[in-house]
Amino acid sequence: MRNFPTLLWKEQKALFSSPLAYAIVAVYLLLMGFTFTLMLFLNRTAELVRVFFQAAILFLLIVPVVTMRQLAEERRSGTLELLLTSPVREIEIVLAKFAASLSVVVLMLILTTSYAVVLGVYAEPDWGPIYSGFIGLLLLAAALSAIGLLVSGLTSSQLVAAVVSMGVGILLWMIDSVGYLLPDPFDTFVTSLSLVAHFTPFATGAVFLSDLGFFLTVILACVLLSVRTLARR
Amino acid sequence: MASVITAEHLTKWYGPRLALDGVSLAVDRGEIMGLLGPNGSGKTTVLRILAGYLRPSAGTARIAGLDVVNDSLAARRRVGYVPEDAPLYAGMTVREFLNFMGRLKGLTGPGLTAAVDAASERLALDGVRRTPIGTLSRGYRQRVAIAQALLGNPDLLILDEPTNGLDPRQIIEMRGLIRALSGERTILVTSHILGEIEQVADQVAILVQGRLLGVHALRSPAEGVRLRLRIRGDRPSVLARLHGVPGVSHVEVEDEARAPLVTYLVLAETASVAESLAVAVTGGGFGLLVLEPAPLELESLFLRLTGATLERR
Repeated sequence: MRNFPTLLWKEQKALFSSPLAYAIVAVYLLLMGFTFTLMLFLNRTAELVRVFFQAAILFLLIVPVVTMRQLAEERRSGTLELLLTSPVREIEIVLAKFAASLSVVVLMLILTTSYAVVLGVYAEPDWGPIYSGFIGLLLLAAALSAIGLLVSGLTSSQLVAAVVSMGVGILLWMIDSVGYLLPDPFDTFVTSLSLVAHFTPFATGAVFLSDLGFFLTVILACVLLSVRTLARR
Repeated sequence: MASVITAEHLTKWYGPRLALDGVSLAVDRGEIMGLLGPNGSGKTTVLRILAGYLRPSAGTARIAGLDVVNDSLAARRRVGYVPEDAPLYAGMTVREFLNFMGRLKGLTGPGLTAAVDAASERLALDGVRRTPIGTLSRGYRQRVAIAQALLGNPDLLILDEPTNGLDPRQIIEMRGLIRALSGERTILVTSHILGEIEQVADQVAILVQGRLLGVHALRSPAEGVRLRLRIRGDRPSVLARLHGVPGVSHVEVEDEARAPLVTYLVLAETASVAESLAVAVTGGGFGLLVLEPAPLELESLFLRLTGATLERR
């Protein structure tokens, strides 16, 4: 992993030197601020459950836009050839791209903690669900980043990568609805693939190892498949 | 002399399509090998396999004794590769890009600085080191791509169509640069224009439809230059006139479809014979419409390799 820091620097420079990252963060904060204010004045309760769900929905739309260029743009512009003919391992390239995408999301999450700070200053919130909610959002964003990276590696079109990643994310978010229509044991299997089913416990303050394991499995599988996609040439 | 490139029976399938069919190649240290062939002949596939970007479906390739599949990372450290159209990171400055590529090749600290400085100086990039690559001209971009390939002092430099998209002045500069880089390292360069390769390479390998037709030492400059003349006038009289010019070793008719306007190909000992030809033609009362260099077309060499008569003979 000797080249990881160098590759991460390059990925973060590419992400943060484009106006796209700032536009994404700005739109996210605008929408989240609106939701937080609305929820606070309507419910007058010191909790962030609805804010977490709002953030999760926004991540389904935003993360694919962050990841769309990662491998697709390298493939389209030909720079992937330059990278892969350098003495660099595929896993280093994929992990650097994954970490760079996640860094944009982490920035958004760090800025989102301001809502928790506001609650802490003006009320006495139950901190458990707030901590677990942020952990859940981070895991969800990481899973969506890994899915986006994998899809980005399968095409040379950023637009196709974004649209397909969004489609996969949204489908996995609501796939539990389909599960209810299926016979046993398919219903359990399909429901267990649902992002919302594994995210809801985090957002409401319950941390289960099975949910943690689900997100880590998705992340690991997509990262390894991305490496495989690069290696198969 | 030890071969830097040793390729044996390289075969590559893209799905059902056979792109390379048992290509074997050996290039010694310090040699410039030109790889020629029409578009789709498999040139880039050979380069990509040697550079470690593609894996061969069958056969083996070694760079300085290192297998490009089994010792891929070590082999890649011995290769400087410039892909076709010089893909670069447009958002980086030249210095940032060279530092980035240098680090990937294992250079750090003073060694990295020294290598980047040396490559920048060699490619005359000092004036644009702080310039974003996206704003550079095509010629400068090609120079930056070659500069990154030189980092780490590779044994083998692979250049895929290095003169593509360059203007005539840049093409001349690029030829000079390739010649200047030879001697220190082995260079493998592709083109679909024989004239380009002819001026820089020591030998030429010709690929057609994925098959290597042969490897040939290029003719020495002493063998002469080819000139094309379009002349209005009686063909036998013009031929006689052209044959009479000192320094002309061969004359043939290339095209007489628009007689009495006829195109002739002349093999002359030196380029300066062109002036004597012009004087002889106009002095004989014929109309000289065109007098230009006629680099040997790839097609002609193909004909020779496939047993057909070479027009130059």
